[in-house]
Amino acid sequence: MSDRPLILHPGRRDLIKVGLAAGAAALLPWHHAHADLPPIARDRTMILVWGGREGRWVDWDLWNPYSIGSNHQNGPNLVYEPLAYYSAFADKTYMWLAESYAFVPDFKRLTIKTRPGIAWSDGEPFGAEDVAYTLNTLRDLGPKVRWGVDVQQAVEKATAADADTVVIDFKIPAPRFFFFMTYKYDIGVYIVPKHIFEGQDWTTFKHFDLGKKWPVTTSPWQVVDASPQQKVFNRRSAWWAADRKLAPLPAVERNIWLPFAGEQQAAQALITDQLDAGTGMQPATFPTMFRKNPKITTYTGQSSPYGYMDWWPISLYVNNERPPFDDKDVRWALSYYLDRKQLIEVGYLGANTPSNLPLPPYPPLLPYFDTVKDLLAKHDTNEFAPKKGDSLLAAKGFKKDGGGFWADAQGKRLNVDIIGFGASGPAMGPVLAEMLKRRGVEAGMGLPPDFDSRFQKGDYDGAIYGHGGSINEPYATLRLYQGASIAVPGAHQANFSRWKNADYDKLVDEAYVTAPDDTKKLSDIWRRAMEIWLPELPDIQLVQNYHRIPWDTTYWKNWPTEENAYVNGAHWHLTFAMVLWSLQSA
Amino acid sequence: MRAVFRYIRRNPSLALGIALLAMLVLFVLIGSLMVDIENARPLSVPALRPPSADYPFGTDRQGRDLLAVMVAGTPLTLRIGFVAGFIGVGLGTVLAFIAAYYRGVIDTVIRAIADIGLTVPGLLVLIIIAVSIKGTLTVNQMAIIVASLAWLYPTRTIRAQVLSLRERGYVEMAQLSGMSGPGIIFFELMPNLLPYLAATLVNAVSAAILASIYLEVLGLGPIDSPTLGMTLYWVYFNAAMINGWWWWWTAPTVIILTVFLGMFFLTVGLDEIANPRLRQSA
Amino acid sequence: MQAAYIARRFGVFLLIVWLAATLNFFLPRLSGQDPVRAKLLEQAQLGGYVQGGIEEMTREYERRFGLDKPLWRQYVTYLRDVSRLDFNYSIANYPRTVNELIADALPWTVGLLGTTTLLSFGIGTLLGALLAWPRAPHWMRWLMPPLWALHAIPFFLLGLILTYLLAFRLPLLPIFGGYSAGAVPALTWHFTWDVFQHALLPALSIILVSTGGWALGMRGMMVTTMGEDYVLFAEAKGLKAPTVFMRYCVRNAVLPQITALALALGQVLSGAVLVEVIFGYPGIGTLLYQAIRENDHFVIQGIVFTVIVALGFTTFVLDVIYPWLDPRISYRRV
Repeated sequence: MSDRPLILHPGRRDLIKVGLAAGAAALLPWHHAHADLPPIARDRTMILVWGGREGRWVDWDLWNPYSIGSNHQNGPNLVYEPLAYYSAFADKTYMWLAESYAFVPDFKRLTIKTRPGIAWSDGEPFGAEDVAYTLNTLRDLGPKVRWGVDVQQAVEKATAADADTVVIDFKIPAPRFFFFMTYKYDIGVYIVPKHIFEGQDWTTFKHFDLGKKWPVTTSPWQVVDASPQQKVFNRRSAWWAADRKLAPLPAVERNIWLPFAGEQQAAQALITDQLDAGTGMQPATFPTMFRKNPKITTYTGQSSPYGYMDWWPISLYVNNERPPFDDKDVRWALSYYLDRKQLIEVGYLGANTPSNLPLPPYPPLLPYFDTVKDLLAKHDTNEFAPKKGDSLLAAKGFKKDGGGFWADAQGKRLNVDIIGFGASGPAMGPVLAEMLKRRGVEAGMGLPPDFDSRFQKGDYDGAIYGHGGSINEPYATLRLYQGASIAVPGAHQANFSRWKNADYDKLVDEAYVTAPDDTKKLSDIWRRAMEIWLPELPDIQLVQNYHRIPWDTTYWKNWPTEENAYVNGAHWHLTFAMVLWSLQSA
Repeated sequence: MRAVFRYIRRNPSLALGIALLAMLVLFVLIGSLMVDIENARPLSVPALRPPSADYPFGTDRQGRDLLAVMVAGTPLTLRIGFVAGFIGVGLGTVLAFIAAYYRGVIDTVIRAIADIGLTVPGLLVLIIIAVSIKGTLTVNQMAIIVASLAWLYPTRTIRAQVLSLRERGYVEMAQLSGMSGPGIIFFELMPNLLPYLAATLVNAVSAAILASIYLEVLGLGPIDSPTLGMTLYWVYFNAAMINGWWWWWTAPTVIILTVFLGMFFLTVGLDEIANPRLRQSA
Repeated sequence: MQAAYIARRFGVFLLIVWLAATLNFFLPRLSGQDPVRAKLLEQAQLGGYVQGGIEEMTREYERRFGLDKPLWRQYVTYLRDVSRLDFNYSIANYPRTVNELIADALPWTVGLLGTTTLLSFGIGTLLGALLAWPRAPHWMRWLMPPLWALHAIPFFLLGLILTYLLAFRLPLLPIFGGYSAGAVPALTWHFTWDVFQHALLPALSIILVSTGGWALGMRGMMVTTMGEDYVLFAEAKGLKAPTVFMRYCVRNAVLPQITALALALGQVLSGAVLVEVIFGYPGIGTLLYQAIRENDHFVIQGIVFTVIVALGFTTFVLDVIYPWLDPRISYRRV
């Protein structure tokens, strides 16, 4: 027997005591406590839920929208006002900090007049210097900050000719540069206050200090609290745009942003009026919400598809560099095997519409759909015709093997491993894979955590993804398929489908140097490009992307709707300020 | 035969445990004769039907027959759990005995490996494996992934147990009587630990099943396979609870409960076999 | 003798911390994922538009994070930084630092998980002991099946059901978040109460789920212990039943439970991912989960290193005090 240590009980009791003390000392999150915010009544507060990471804001102290960890979608979209807003739904540009602009005929110089008499929230005047400083710094920093490369590619230099005039000289013709800077969806250049940002390292500067009332803004929204739990904006008492009758002073006095913590939680909070705006949700959840809270509405009221069409039509991409998907007939065969109607029925409970071209049928784009009507009739990208698919594959030497799957001459099965992400992957992926399997294509489905890298590097067979292209004229969508560009030296190419066609590339360059309002010429280029693109079908067109945002009308009304489509209503887009100033007390 | 029945009457927990697990096996066996497993795939049946004569468990949003899903998915999920659980406890027991019996360098090494291994977040390992598998994740890969970490915890706890046992008088007696190391482990230590090992095994199997379900619910599972965890992923993805599609989550929940309750009563029964004193008081 | 023992154990503790830190340095890099590119592309994915120059930006930031250097250089830098408790910037949330991110999340996690772990350990161990004790009231036997059934329900499912029942059907408790929208963190009773209410649902689901596990482990140990000679001897000696129960059975059976508790407390720091996801609770679990998904090396390293130190430390403490707890073990090496 071993000899026993003599001390027994004190040891154990100490352990328990230490344990209890540790438990009791568990700190609560006081560390960013500060002076109390005066309460504002619920009916003057607008509360929305959006983004974040699993129920928290990780970027709560990042208010410099150019640092790579920050995102304009999470609040900076309210802080930094643009030179101009554009609403694709109304097809209308609203000049904002800029009063007017003019290009020289060869698009190598742009002159912008800013509105005089606007001040930042710390009293310093806003002016041409801020715009020139923003652009020149972006040009200098290039890949170190967001949007830097886009600006660097085009801008030679920007100069403030006087307090209200900016002259921008370009390296290459840049007919779309003002539109690029204009706020719409997720694209636009944020004008920062020179007197704050100068001398700071843009890559690490946070522009956040509640004591100094940072972030400094020209907008009516002052950040008064930010934590992993919430971002709170208070309406300032005065706003230059209201003084000039460009917009009303918002009726919302406080705007609270909560991080998204799951669909069920958000739906429950909406039903109980704890939220005024939800984030994108599954179609099926809407009827449930309407039943339990009749005050909830959407862009299309209380009827399907419960939202508005985003600019992001979704495709089944196949890797054009990998055989057999380098063969257009194989791509067409896959397209013929897909029943879009059933896909929408099962994947979206009917709340979607098929997409036949890689751009959304927005009002300014409809003429371009008309131009290629006959081409689309000949190459129907939405046609469900398994027989046609069968004969295309058979003509290429594919035969059905013992298991009922198509196999090539060497007996290798026609296999597509489809990857997906986010909401579209799970909603459509298994259905797509099953449809293909039933037609003899061996399809699999996965949601890999490294979807983005794989997709961008071309490390995939099939992928479900959208198109962030055109909203008012076809260049941006055409560019998505460009393999190489001469007009824009060193241009970054998206080209996710890895499809290559030299004639097509030339047409895109031609479109680049065409003024965006020269619709006649653009129509012609677009048609010629589609004559190449449609028979080739680089990616297989599926459905539209809808933003299904539930809004509660208990406290606030005048949300954007089909009848009153002043702008797309996403609170994460750069145009959210327009929604916020349009809201009225219910 | 009669003796068996008599014993079962004396040990109702064991009977109940076996009965529950047998029910599950029967459900799967009879089910696979009655329903077409192919209907566990999407687009097979009309979507979102509540339970009816045609679809006793109802159907889900993508047109899977939930009865077929359960019949096909239960064995898949159990397979993940049992494979991972047995590997885990088996490996853990061997390592724990070696470490605790021989002590010294071997003990330090085994402990260090277990301790270090426990610091690695399981998710990290899974995601690294998932990323390196370029095709679609399969159920067997899933089992191996879960097993790769399942032995660490048993090693740690069983070792602590053996440590306390080996200081006993009978171990020293055995040593004095010239019994070899493995002999002592097998004949002296092991029997004393059987109930504890059984409890550990139940825990390990259930932990493995939970781990697999957990990964699947996070969307990291084999999305093509109709396992119980993937069914719960779809439940969560589609917010089925708030939408009132109760049948969708009822079936997998009931089956998971049956598995765990069955295994629980099984251990209770095993305890009584190992330690008959308990029975007298019941 | 004891000092040498403690010194040796401390050496082992340091060794384990170093080895584990090394393992956790190399593991994320094995996957071959490219966190910088993934981060930049993720923004594109959210916005739908892929901005220019992803390649250039990826190169620029890989240089900045030192990811372009050879692995051994990165490792040396890592060891130097870690020894100063500087975990670098978060790749996905640049320019936020890993320390800032952990500081945001840690109090929530320690507050919620620390408390619930101790509570469920206490309740579970006591129940487990009583369940194995023949003299316990008979009705207690009926507690075990429901406890184990609860243990069987996956956390998140119980969480969803509880949310549905307690926050929605009967709106007693808040649905999600750490505190109410519009509330400002301050040391007031009102705010504390608010935080407490928000913690109640996740805490309840953790306690309900994990108590069964503790109870089962304890019960198993009790069954073994009660077959021991010294227990029989104590009973034969005519000691009072409660004395035998506490001094002889529980005291010895609780040891493996304490090992498990120490490990569980160390693990607390790695959080409970699913509970935090379901309840939108801003703890470390979701931070780690997100970092793993994005392969944010520095955040993974920072959190895991913290957990390693905590675990290593509890193990060390355990080793030191174990001989006090278990009279059958001595420091003497056999």
